[in-house]
Formats: sequence, structure tokens, C-alpha cells
Amino acid sequence: MSVRPLPAGETTTWRASAREWLRSGNSLPFCLLAPSIFLMLAVIAYPMLTGFYYGFTTGSLLKTGKFVGFDNYIRLLQSADFLHALWFSLIFAVFNVIGCYVLGLGLALLMNQDVPFRGFFRVALLLPWIVPSIVSIVSWRWMMADQHALFNQIIGLFGGSPIYFLSDEHWAIAAVIAIKIWRSFPFMMLSLLAALQGIDRSLYEAASLDGASRWNQFRYVTLPQLSNISIVLCLLMTIWTVNDFDTPWLLTQGGPANATENLVLLAYRYTFGRNDVGLGSAVSFITLAILMVLVVILLRRQRER
Amino acid sequence: MKLFGNAPRRGRARVFVRLATAAFISLSPLAAQAQETVKLNFWDMIWGPPEYIDSAKELVAQFNKENPGIQVEYRSVPWNNWYQTFVTAISSGTAPDLSTGAGYQAVQLYDQGAIRPIDDVIEELKADGELADFLPNTVDTLRYDDHYVALPWGIDIRVWFYRKDLLEQAGLKVPTTWEELRAAAKATTKDGRYGIVASGDTGGSHFLYSALLNNGGGLFTADRKLDLRNERNKEAFDALAGMVADGSVSPASTGYNSDDRRAAFNRGQAAFTLDGPGLIAQAGDQAANIGVVPPLAGMHGDKGTIFWVNNIMVYEQTKHPEETKTFLKWWSKNQLPLWTKGQSGQLPTRASIAANDYFKNDQARAFVLEQYVPIGKTTATHASGIFPALNDLEGEGAMQAFAQELWQGKPIDQVVDTAEARLKSILKE
Repeated sequence: MSVRPLPAGETTTWRASAREWLRSGNSLPFCLLAPSIFLMLAVIAYPMLTGFYYGFTTGSLLKTGKFVGFDNYIRLLQSADFLHALWFSLIFAVFNVIGCYVLGLGLALLMNQDVPFRGFFRVALLLPWIVPSIVSIVSWRWMMADQHALFNQIIGLFGGSPIYFLSDEHWAIAAVIAIKIWRSFPFMMLSLLAALQGIDRSLYEAASLDGASRWNQFRYVTLPQLSNISIVLCLLMTIWTVNDFDTPWLLTQGGPANATENLVLLAYRYTFGRNDVGLGSAVSFITLAILMVLVVILLRRQRER
Repeated sequence: MKLFGNAPRRGRARVFVRLATAAFISLSPLAAQAQETVKLNFWDMIWGPPEYIDSAKELVAQFNKENPGIQVEYRSVPWNNWYQTFVTAISSGTAPDLSTGAGYQAVQLYDQGAIRPIDDVIEELKADGELADFLPNTVDTLRYDDHYVALPWGIDIRVWFYRKDLLEQAGLKVPTTWEELRAAAKATTKDGRYGIVASGDTGGSHFLYSALLNNGGGLFTADRKLDLRNERNKEAFDALAGMVADGSVSPASTGYNSDDRRAAFNRGQAAFTLDGPGLIAQAGDQAANIGVVPPLAGMHGDKGTIFWVNNIMVYEQTKHPEETKTFLKWWSKNQLPLWTKGQSGQLPTRASIAANDYFKNDQARAFVLEQYVPIGKTTATHASGIFPALNDLEGEGAMQAFAQELWQGKPIDQVVDTAEARLKSILKE
């Protein structure tokens, strides 16, 4: 696109340049983007920068306190609550990503076959993803809350003693992860099913002619074809799991004895329970930093492939 | 510019008539009155079933009718995220003129410059002889930093309830001491039922507060330093831990929230629980099977339980402090329908309201008012009055985690160590 030359005698001040740029067609895309950029700065950049600053201060939700440098971060690194929340966030993410990927892939492979009532199952298997979290998680609570709940009735039929799933740290961790897997697998299944249907059938025909078994076809054709989407799905699921508030909050409120408290719950507790915005902001920024590192690593790997 | 343009003569006449009418109305006494009407925003927490909101609205309408110069707008505020609601409003300059709130809300917001003290209201009530109408231990609880930060309106308190049917089946009398409670809890633990059902949420921490206050203990020293490990507290924690060791506390307690606990108790799955005075009224067809345990004598004969003096506070952002105080005094004096029509779960802080037949006819509430309210103590015990850190202490969940670990049967010394470290961190000691 050509730029109109300045008239003779006009000084090339920044104002003149700006006016010239505005008159030229080059400015149009920026003008169209400006409202969106402004909105994003207002609702994302400003709160983020403010939150980042709060991480270096004391103070409550009403009053910003004094600047304390890295004190909040140092306190966190020395805090057993924070280290536990970090550990729980890690295992929560790892087990959920593995669990929902394996389950999602298995069901996607099954739904990709010509099984009876395939349409019905495809819809039915999406239900855990569609049902609002408050409904599904409270229902799970009822099924496992005490000795009279459904799970313990079933255990009782086989002569077992009741298990207090929400009263024991280990069972509570297992329950939170299991329910998160249950809520997450439909998304994995749906995405992987779409990717499976996009694989060129001739690859399987060629493998079959070469005498490849079903397992080898899966290993050398299906998995490599799914690798790119798998990386993206695992990346997204990791972010969603680390940021998950609903599942641990509605099921256990982070208990018992903070066993199922992840970084997001900890940030909430410090900010709104303890009214310590500095400490809460510091937890949030450490969570953000961890996720950013993860995103960079995974995106770089994806680009290399 | 032509004012009337090319409008026909009839059109001009119509415009003149309209202008004259508008001028007449704007200069009339009616308009002057409308201009002088002060608008107040009153935010009220939900202190009862849906009928409560209707009765509160009716009460506000009655005030507006009796006070044409003041128009109060009523807004019902849900408990979910209540603190964020108020803090956001204050930060953005849209705080109400006055609001009701939980026990320690006023003192915490006062400490941050958001609440206007009501010393003058207290003085006026004193001069009118109305201050004596407030139950002992209520008005002074809301004194902080030599100022009254709010006016009491309702009491929330924790009392022990028992299942009449389960005690009858076991041939037991209603316990009167902690030792008897422990024995009764043990005796009623059988056939898949437990002596006590507790919870792992905030309601779970009330078992701890109640026990230590019952035994003459308290979380603080007189100068507001944490005193978790004093002898009386230790005895109280040991008593609860003993009941867990006996197997008398439902193992599901750690994972229960208060609704689960209440439901289990109402289903007859436990003989005792600790709850607010409204438990029986909410028990439906099981109400007749539930009774209130008289205040238990602690190990040294002390009596006591946890209570919260919920209150009405005036905000610094109000532009009409005098009118706000007028409404505050009126509301405090005329709030009986909040119970008689609104079925509020709170107990009144005024003796004149507590003396109403509504409370006298409700045996359980009358019993709690007579027997439990006089021995009610705040979380601040043994410090005098309340102070801002109490809101953080109750909201942060350290005592909740303490209760969860206690119900799990973990060694009590280990549980107290963990709780003490967390409480010190909250209190910045």
C-alpha cells in the first residue's frame, strides 16, 4: 500500500506523521482492533498487573498495605500449606491428565467402531461434561458421604466394611481425582474421536497389506497420527486441572485437613478467608508462572514436531 | 431559533398549558417534599426462610409510611460470598447506608475505616431507658477501640440437642455434665448408629469452641494473644478426643458438612449433635423426637457455649447519618415481625421481644433463651469485646481443619501443634 508523500514545506513532526498514518489505509486494521485491545487491557492486563503488585504488599481486600518486596513469596516457600497445595496440584493434574486421556482414547476407539447404539452412546458419554458441576459433584457426594450412601451399600453387599471416602485423606484425594477424570474424559473422547475420523484410511490398508497386527496398526499408525492433537489436549487439560476450583471445593472444600487443597483453593482461602490479599496474589502468580512454563515447554515441543 | 417553529395555534396553546402545569408542580409543596425525601439503602442478610425477606420488606414499607421524609430501599443479601459483596461495594463507593451482618463484620470493616461508630445512638438509647432492654452481654460485645461499632439485633448460639427416642431406647437420662455426655454417647453407639454426629465444615469448629468455652477455657488471653494451649482448653480437647477414641463420634463427621450432619441426626443416625436454636423447627416430622440438652457442666463445673451477636452497622459512606440512625433505632425497636412472620432462626437481643408469646410458646427457643444465652461467650474469650482478627480466624478455616483432624482420631498433641502454627500465622503473632 503506497503512502501519500508529505506536501512541500510541512515539517515531519510526530503529529504530522501520525496524521499521515491515520489517513493512510495502514491504520485501518489497528483502528478496528483498538476496541478489543482496550477491552483486553482493561479486563486482563490491568487486573493482572495490579494483582502482581499486590503480591509484593501486605494489606486486605479494602486497604493496600505497605510494600514488602518478596516477603510474601518467601513466606509461601516456607509454608507447609503451600508446599502441600503445590504437591496436590501436581498429582491432581498428572493423574487426571493420564486418567482422562486413557479413558477418553479407549472410548474414542470404541465409538469409532461400528458398535450397536453408537449414536446413543456418543451422546450419553458426553453427559458428565454437560451436567453442571454443582449437580454432578453434589450427587457424587451423596453417593459416598457416609455408611448409608450408595457406594457403601454396594460394598456391604459383598461383605465389606464401609469406607468413609470424604473423611480419610487418601480416599478423599482418590475421590477428587476420580470425579475430575469422570468430568473430563468426554472432552478428550470427543476431540480424539474427531481426530481418529480424520486419519487417512489408506494408511491402515497399507499397514494391513504389510501384515501389521491390530496392535501394531494402533502403535505405528493411530498413535503417531494422534500425537499433535494429544499434546494440545494434554496441555489444555493440565491448565484446566491446575485451575480447577469446582471439583475439590464442592466435594471436600479442600479437606480433610487440607489434603485436597490445590493452589487455586489456597489462593482463595488466603485472599477471602484470611483477608490477606498479598499472600493470595503471590499464590496466584506462582500458579500462573508454573502454567506459563508448562505452556512454553509444550508449545516448543509441538513446534519441534 | 424559533421556540415553536411553525406549529399551529392550537399546538402552541397545548405547549403553554404543559409548561404551566410543569411549573406549578415543580413549585408546589408536594414537589418540595419529594425533593427533600432522603433515600437510604439497607442491605439485610438472609436470616431465615423465604418468609423472612417478605416480612423484612413489609417492615421497611411500614417505616417508609410512618416516615415520609425517609425512603428506605431494602436489599436482601445472600450469605454466599457475603464478604466480597460488602468489600466490593465499599471499594467502589457504593456501600449501603446501613446493613445487618455477621458477628465480626462490623469490627473488621470499622478497622478498615468503612464503619461509622454509633456511640451517639447508644447514648440516646441510654437516655431513653431503651438500652436496658438489650440482653446482658450483647451491646458491650460490639465495643471495640472505645467505640460501639454496631447495634445488636440477633443472637446465634450453639446448643446440644439429643434424640429422645434413642435415649429412651438406651434407658438413659439427658446428660447434665460432660462426663455424662461421654457415657451417653458411648451407650448409644450401636447398630450402625453413633452417639455424636459432627461435621468437618465451619459448623465442625463450633464443637471445639463450645467445648473449650464450656470448660472455662478461651482462645485468647486478656491482651488478645493466642492461648490455645491453656489447661482448660487442653482438657476440653482431650474430652472430645476421648469421645472419638471411644468410637462414639460418627466416622463420617470429617467429610460431612452441616447439612449432612443435620440430616443424619434427623434420620436418627446419632443421639447428640450441636447446632443452632432453629434445628428443631427445621426437623419436620422428627421435631417431636428432638430435645435440647441443658447447659452441660464442664470438668470444673463451668458452663458456657459459643455465641455470636449479629448486628446492624452504619457505613462511613452514608450521606445521611442522622436519617440512617433514625431508621436504625426504629428497626431495632420494631423488628418483632422478623420472627413472628419471618420465622428468623436468630434469637432476639431485646428482652421485650424475647418476652413475646411467640418465644414463650416455643419451648425449645424459650429454653435456649433462658438457659443458654446468659452463658454465651464469643470467640474472643478471654479478651474483652471483639476485635478484627476474629473474622479472619473464623473465615480462614484453621479451626475447621483442627476439627477434621480431631474427628479423624489423630493424636491430639499433633493436631493442636498444627492448629496453633496456623492460628499464629493468621494472627501474625
